[in-house]
Amino acid sequence: MSEKLVSPLPELPPVSKWLPAVALAWLVPGGGHFLLKRHYRGAILCGCTVILFLMGMMMRGYLFQPMTGDLLTTIIYVGGYIADMATGILYILARMFGYDAPDVAGHTVDYGTKFIVIAGLFNILAVVDAFEIATGRKD
Amino acid sequence: MPRMNLSHFEVTLILALFSSAVLAVVTKKTDKERLHYGLTSFGWFALTVFGLGWLMYLGHR
Repeated sequence: MSEKLVSPLPELPPVSKWLPAVALAWLVPGGGHFLLKRHYRGAILCGCTVILFLMGMMMRGYLFQPMTGDLLTTIIYVGGYIADMATGILYILARMFGYDAPDVAGHTVDYGTKFIVIAGLFNILAVVDAFEIATGRKD
Repeated sequence: MPRMNLSHFEVTLILALFSSAVLAVVTKKTDKERLHYGLTSFGWFALTVFGLGWLMYLGHR
């Protein structure tokens, strides 16, 4: 029987070392990378997230509100809401300036909704990446 | 805010481009690996779009 050797993860550094990067990464897309001096990676992540979010808004994508009911509704609306909120300052500004496109049928609006959700998912990847860099698990 | 209307094809290519870029940045360690992964990933996305597009076209004839 073969044994697979798995190198253990390095011990988690104190919260003060990684929390600012993670919080900034959520609030400003790519911000965590800028704080950690990974400028060009931060710029790519920021650009992709912001452009996708703006295109989603220009296509009048719907910003999800948490709604529960049957399982599928809960997954779609709560999941969509979490993904929308993951865009950080973009979501906050959109809400602050009164962006509230209705959830109507149509392929353009539907793509817009997906673009906004995917922008949030990109930012979640950026947050995880910033966390791994800040904790020394990744260069 | 200006309105934007894109075709299915344009949307899929834009999504493929951004997805490839983000995945390359967060999953690979060196710039060379990132560039290679990003281009390969975008190529596969585009190829899949063409393939499925033709499949649907032929399936509906």
